[in-house]
Amino acid sequence: MTPERWQKVEAVLQDALDRSPQERVSFLDEACAGDEQLLDEATSLVNAYDEAGDFIEQPAIAQDARVLVGGDIADKVGHEIGPYKIVKRLGAGGMGEVCLAQDARLDRLVALKILPAYFASDDARLRRFQREARAASALNHPNILTIHEVGESAGIRYIATEFIDGVTIRQLLTKQELSLAEILDIAEQVSFALAAAHAAGIVHRDIKPENIMRRTDGLVKILDFGIAKLMEPEAPDYRDETQPGGRTHTEAGLLLGTVNYMSPEQARGLPVDERTDIWSLGVVVYEMLAQRLPFSGATRMDTIVAILDREPPPLSEVANSHHCVSALLRQTIDSCLRKETADRLRSANELLAELKCVREELNSGASLTGSAINPSKQDAGVSSKPAARSLPRRYSWLALSLVIVLLAATAGTILYRRSETAAPANAHVTVTSGKLYSQMSEPEQLNFIDQQEQRIATMMGDRPVKLNGDAVRVIKTYVDRYAARDGPSADLGSESISEVYARARPYVPLIARSFAARKVPIIIGIYLPAIESAYRNCYENSIGAKGLFQFMPQTAEHYGVARQDMCDVEKMTPAAAHYIADSMAELGEDSESMTLVLLSYNRGANSVRNNLRQLRGTENYERNFWTLFAHRDQLDDAFRNEGAHYVPSFFAAAIIGENPQNFGLPEPPLSSLAEAGKQ
Amino acid sequence: MTTFNADDLTGLLIEWGQGDKAALDRLTPLVYDEIRRIAHRYVQREHEGQTLQTTALVNEAYLRLAGSANIAWQNRAHFFAVTAQVMRRILIDHARRRHYVKHGGEAQRVAFEVAISEAAQMSEPRAAELLALDEALDELAKLDPRKGRVVELRYFGGLNLEETAKVLAVSPMTVRRDWRAAKAWLYKRVMSDE
Repeated sequence: MTPERWQKVEAVLQDALDRSPQERVSFLDEACAGDEQLLDEATSLVNAYDEAGDFIEQPAIAQDARVLVGGDIADKVGHEIGPYKIVKRLGAGGMGEVCLAQDARLDRLVALKILPAYFASDDARLRRFQREARAASALNHPNILTIHEVGESAGIRYIATEFIDGVTIRQLLTKQELSLAEILDIAEQVSFALAAAHAAGIVHRDIKPENIMRRTDGLVKILDFGIAKLMEPEAPDYRDETQPGGRTHTEAGLLLGTVNYMSPEQARGLPVDERTDIWSLGVVVYEMLAQRLPFSGATRMDTIVAILDREPPPLSEVANSHHCVSALLRQTIDSCLRKETADRLRSANELLAELKCVREELNSGASLTGSAINPSKQDAGVSSKPAARSLPRRYSWLALSLVIVLLAATAGTILYRRSETAAPANAHVTVTSGKLYSQMSEPEQLNFIDQQEQRIATMMGDRPVKLNGDAVRVIKTYVDRYAARDGPSADLGSESISEVYARARPYVPLIARSFAARKVPIIIGIYLPAIESAYRNCYENSIGAKGLFQFMPQTAEHYGVARQDMCDVEKMTPAAAHYIADSMAELGEDSESMTLVLLSYNRGANSVRNNLRQLRGTENYERNFWTLFAHRDQLDDAFRNEGAHYVPSFFAAAIIGENPQNFGLPEPPLSSLAEAGKQ
Repeated sequence: MTTFNADDLTGLLIEWGQGDKAALDRLTPLVYDEIRRIAHRYVQREHEGQTLQTTALVNEAYLRLAGSANIAWQNRAHFFAVTAQVMRRILIDHARRRHYVKHGGEAQRVAFEVAISEAAQMSEPRAAELLALDEALDELAKLDPRKGRVVELRYFGGLNLEETAKVLAVSPMTVRRDWRAAKAWLYKRVMSDE
């Protein structure tokens, strides 16, 4: 029916309805004389009206109130959503309700965010969000909230994240006065996380005190990567000047209530890059120092005008009197809050470097006159580095995984770029050999790790290339985790270094023999029993407790390993070496093929071939570890769920196993035992 | 998680009124909370045997969000319209979920029913009815946009005839005539599907 036709039908219908039921039939015959179709239409509508009764007469809410109320978490406590059992409600916000839940599979508490219906029904938007959230989570950074899962259980969409026992910076700001040392510490940890995210091409877009939490142990976490993008409209029409009333600043990212931290480019609806996060962090740091916002107004519009056009009140005038804000710190914040992106600090790494200078200045007391800060408190607040803070005792990856090793081999190829000027394969490594790792300063630790990585990469093949700084720092967090463990523990996941080492030692000769026979770098195999991973299928039985890797059952079968032998290191090691050698021959030895070959160990060759195709079709694809891991969500589920920990885990284990003396172990390097095993 | 003030609401309503579709997305979380509040009142009412005027509740919600200083009629009209749209989205989503569960196999159904208590589920006939109505309403809106809005405001927004007329800036008589024609058309359309 066309609108014109409808007008005609409606006119007849209205006239008919104005008449009494008895008059209607004759009226319709008369009004539609000669137009059978009109008569049919109008008659059927009149009849429909008569039959409709109270159809849609009661507002929908009267009928569906229970459904609307029933969606509340309060009603779900004790129930299960997917593998999660709801413990209690933690809060609610525009992004849905958040509750504390128990993950039945891993016996851990998680924060479960249940997306409200209006987000969950928008598939395209949700997919974008998942991409972002997973990419950020994939960075596996100590200062980024870990997202365990973005899932769906029968129509309920949820995000399961690490549960943080702590408070947001917003809560800190309203409850207590932060010392300068604490403020710098928070700023550094956030910059550290942003540097890693930006390196992977992920921009947060909504850095604000509500999105930064500080745990009770001082570790700072950025929340909600990807959420800002979820809140944005799909494919925003940035500057439609042709539309009357078109509002250039409203389209892209004006989030409800958060204009205060928005960068000028964001406020104008222009595309943003990582420098928008630098700006927002600058605003947060300013606010922490001054306890007021740099840009604010009575209304959103006024605030936006201030962001676009005004300079903030000088910190020297507004900063809390307890904080003697040095010229250096003022400059640092100024350089975050430059209106033009080109004038702003270019990267979070630059900001981090500047903040470190400020901290050194603070520690030396050079520019502090009349500071209210107690020197000992300064040390306590500042000296623990972001990475060193993350020494979770609760890591419970139990079994060992060849995948780690496998991926690590990839890391060798991906993280390390061929370089003509690189050191020769057997470059002499100068190590502060006598010094215990725990006694080194942070720069010494980073340097130590960097040198050892070069050495280990060289042992894995002939690719002498240099790791980037972010990769070194991430690996350091893993080394720190091992190094922090002392004393025996009943829990496999928290064994001391010496126990891990002892566990690895007996398998080294066997692995060395098998891998050497297949021409797979031996170092890849050695750390098999030394590394923990989330892969724990073998953990449940007694052999699994030795910590072995896992094979796909069909792959195992193909290589002549029976299911019941899949956790038997004697049988699995030769099969693993054989499989890796075969796959490398089939798919090639370039870096991305290698990654997939190695990952396929847990997944099967067909899924690998598919992923290889997908990976090559990935936008912005680079042969770069961070890019690969940040975009792993574009590959299949298995890839997503594995991966993140393997490479740094491998390096950490190898660094310790190759330098036992630096970790207080009176043992020879594991590779020296491998040499013996080959003969 | 998000904080907002009355100015935010006013600004967003104005932006929405000027055709900024993205404003609806940003208003949704606010309105959603109010809708749930209203729904709670309905459930309570069932226990107490009272009758409720949805129009009054929506007005109340607006005053709570906007503050009494902010009663420009135009904004209130926008607010009603936004509430109706959000309500429609939410209910249709519930209906789709129900539909999904029905067609998603036994395992999923069990998980769903554990997650959401019995009373909170939309019945299957109701879900089917809503989905059919939603589709028919889209068609009607194409044919006759004002009638589409009348139905949305009255049925999903809970407005009475007079308030609907004010929001649309037409006479109550026009709304009454639009309503009866729309009702006949929708009823016929929905029934012909079955």
